[in-house]
Amino acid sequence: MPRQTIELSSRTGRKDIGTLIVASVFICLGLITLYDVTTYSDTDSVVFPTFVAYALIFCSVLVIIASWLRPSQSNGFGSGDWWRRLLLVATMLVACLIMPVSGFLPATAIAFAGGLFAARHEGWDTRSAVVFAASGIAIMAGFYALFRFALGVPLP
Amino acid sequence: MLRLKSVKTLVIASAVSLAAATGALAFPDKAIEYIIPFGPGGESDISARFQQPFFKDKFGQDLVVSYKPGGGGAVGWAQLNSMAGDGYTIMGINLPHIVIQPAQKDVGYTTEDINAFYMFHYTPDAIVVTADSPYQALEDLIADAKANPGALTMSGSGKATANHLAQIRFDKMAGIKTTYVPFKGTGASTTANLGKQVKAQWGYTTVGAAQGDAVRMLAVAMEERHPLFPDVPTFKELGFEMVGGAYRGMAVPKDTPADTVKALSDMFGEINADEAFRKQMLDGGFALLDVGADGMAEFMKARKDEYVEAATEAGLLN
Amino acid sequence: MDFEHLANALTLTNLALALFGVVAGTVIGSIPGLSATMAVAVLVPITFAMTPASALILLGAIYTGAIYGGAYSAILLNTPGTPSAIGTTFDGYPMAKRGDGDLAVAIACYASVFGGMIGALALLLLAPPLSSVALAFGPVEYLWLSIFGLSLIASLSTGNVLKGLAGGAFGLLLSCVGVAEISADIRLTFGSPTMIGGIEVVGALIGLYCIPVLIDLVATPERHLKVDKGGRAVRFREGAIIAWRSRFNLLRSSIIGTLIGILPGAGGSVAGLVAYSEAKRTARPDQKFGEGEPDGIMATEAANNATVGGGFIPTLVLGIPGTPPDAVILGALLVQGVRTGPTLFEGGGSIVYTFIFGLFIATILMLPTGLLIGRYAYKTIVTIPKTILVPSVGFMTIIGTFAIRNSISDVIIMIVLGTVGWVLSRFGFAASPIVLGLILGPIAEQGFVQAWIIGEATGNLAGMFFGRPISLAIIAFTILSLLYPVIQGRRARKLLDMQAGSNAKTDD
Repeated sequence: MPRQTIELSSRTGRKDIGTLIVASVFICLGLITLYDVTTYSDTDSVVFPTFVAYALIFCSVLVIIASWLRPSQSNGFGSGDWWRRLLLVATMLVACLIMPVSGFLPATAIAFAGGLFAARHEGWDTRSAVVFAASGIAIMAGFYALFRFALGVPLP
Repeated sequence: MLRLKSVKTLVIASAVSLAAATGALAFPDKAIEYIIPFGPGGESDISARFQQPFFKDKFGQDLVVSYKPGGGGAVGWAQLNSMAGDGYTIMGINLPHIVIQPAQKDVGYTTEDINAFYMFHYTPDAIVVTADSPYQALEDLIADAKANPGALTMSGSGKATANHLAQIRFDKMAGIKTTYVPFKGTGASTTANLGKQVKAQWGYTTVGAAQGDAVRMLAVAMEERHPLFPDVPTFKELGFEMVGGAYRGMAVPKDTPADTVKALSDMFGEINADEAFRKQMLDGGFALLDVGADGMAEFMKARKDEYVEAATEAGLLN
Repeated sequence: MDFEHLANALTLTNLALALFGVVAGTVIGSIPGLSATMAVAVLVPITFAMTPASALILLGAIYTGAIYGGAYSAILLNTPGTPSAIGTTFDGYPMAKRGDGDLAVAIACYASVFGGMIGALALLLLAPPLSSVALAFGPVEYLWLSIFGLSLIASLSTGNVLKGLAGGAFGLLLSCVGVAEISADIRLTFGSPTMIGGIEVVGALIGLYCIPVLIDLVATPERHLKVDKGGRAVRFREGAIIAWRSRFNLLRSSIIGTLIGILPGAGGSVAGLVAYSEAKRTARPDQKFGEGEPDGIMATEAANNATVGGGFIPTLVLGIPGTPPDAVILGALLVQGVRTGPTLFEGGGSIVYTFIFGLFIATILMLPTGLLIGRYAYKTIVTIPKTILVPSVGFMTIIGTFAIRNSISDVIIMIVLGTVGWVLSRFGFAASPIVLGLILGPIAEQGFVQAWIIGEATGNLAGMFFGRPISLAIIAFTILSLLYPVIQGRRARKLLDMQAGSNAKTDD
């Protein structure tokens, strides 16, 4: 509790930059949409996105005004290791990108390993490494078999 | 050029028969993957499901149906040529989709990219009204449309689709102006018709088969009357040159060897010739079609000209 | 609908099929990405060899099981296994986090069985008259229904309504991406082939709900769910007591689910959300929805399982699929040579009634199997070390998202959207309004475009949008649900003022 109050007092008066950035990005998306609709050939496909783009811009402007007047104190990324978050997301994305070339299992093995390292806070020793690698292989093989053979999903 | 090509086909054909004598029994020696570029439950899926048991019966291997929906089929077709061309991957194709989509926008494939090897059925266009509709015959509908131009609303599945093109062509032939209301799929379009949200529906004979006594078809776009509906006239009988609908078939990746394509074409031809299969399809309201690999180029060209003309006139292509 | 049909449904084969179907459906539905539609589609070829009634019973059992199974991942991983379970995450995951996951799984099971029974009962007794609901809903009604759905953002976005609205608009925009459903343009893809198929709803759900959980999980060494040490007894009875206390909520949610299930354009996700917001609207002051309130889980789960029976009403009576899985079942029936539609209830009646009784049996079987599998799922998720849980769930999101449309693009979109969703949630833009926009966008757009075309053709645009009785009723509901929190808040404040005197004011 006391830690929170310290954080609060140090942040009062500061603007909620994150919210302002997000809302600005939304406004840009709205403007891009308004540009994109000019290329459509069918008026039926123009009406809805145009309306939505205006709504998005309108709401985002209100968000900016509201957050300028009364910045929220609770926003932010919080504590935690950034390299873990990045490792998790990056390995998953890499897996998708190499999947068409490498096949499904090798690609997802990268994502799985990335997730393992990202989630392991206790450190590694030989025993835990072997145990986790083995159970990882078992889980992946099991799900692969379920999807590929029982459900007939054409995995690459 | 044409002769050269036919000589080439001849050579290949004899090579195939040679291969057939030696070891062609080997194809297919494992399950064939049959990709439907739509979600499950639609006409493409249902007709593929009809083929499934017959394929297994005749050729001993499974025909495994899987789905790759998205972009009205475009996602699947755009990826067709990057798949293995060994004959073990085939994909369902639909007309007018594969003509209209690439003509309108860059969808990642062109009509010529699609290596079609068999068109096995079509769902003939039909004008469907509810059983209690004031339109007893096609002429009632035309008379109403003439008296109130634009006020006659007709539901259909999507835009720049078979239903939409049929509406455009028929309006022109009959000299009338109707309003086309696009719905997401034939199911939604039928619901709108049954619920009297619109006055009539541009549907298919399959709608008539599924809805039975709840609906009445005013005319069907076939050469001759559909055996399931002996009382429903064709457009031709009524003086309109309209024959067609949504055509469905199968294609393989471009690099599939010609003899494999031929073998596949023959296999699906054999299924299409099966009396039990024909009966099932007809009972479902489908109309059968037999366009094999050799007649495909001609068939596709005729359809393409027809669709592009109608779509251009309607301002769908720019 | 006499005992003969019940007896037909009760053959050993059919019972075995129903049991197998429920178990398979529950397991498949619990895996994010494997939807009820897919569960049904996978088993269609197996049913070719069966009699039509047995085939229907198997498919119906899988369907109902899969809708329930979606609750597990919603509660334990904050990931709706099927779109129907979106509302289950709101209170289910907070319950699981505070250590009540087993209780949440149990009450979800009771609610699902209850909802399933009400839906099946409606199918048995009222199918032909209720099917007219499907036909009475035209484009305008769907438009207003989707706007009513969007008004739920106000009640769903905890805290900042403005951010909720912006998020909802963002979701609506996302729903436009790809080939337009009923017009002929490709929108907002910027020439990228990845985007041409649009943003798949289930994939987006997995991304927006599950990826943030994973990102938060790896960042700190804390445990995933709180565990109670004391070797607590299974909480089936506690769950039953809670469910019994909320029987009115269960009944109301089941009726909502049945009615919305009948509408071919809506489906379980909308039904669950509407029932959730109704439960929240009528809550007692001491109930805190969104922070682990059992009534929230029960509302969603009762409603989404009621859509199973409700959805079969137009499917069997009109031959119009009420939900996507129904479309697959309809196709399977056609291959079997059974024609649905008005004639089925009259001519082929025995199949229909055998099937309906089969659906009852499957729903009842869901009670023991659901509790058993749920308990096992809970124990697994709670005891599994985080180190292996995170990559396993990550792997499941990839394989599950891929399986929806067999598309790698969907997986990439899922991960990117999930990461964006995590960032947004860190600044008060919650995932639920975005999802609501994504789901309701196409319904709203199609309803609007169609209503406009029809209105213009008939020369009565205003009458089209504001002159139809059902539309007016929905509009009234929308206004009511928007104003209700204001009225209620005022009343609650008054009460607080009276009770606590000066203390309450400092709270502001």
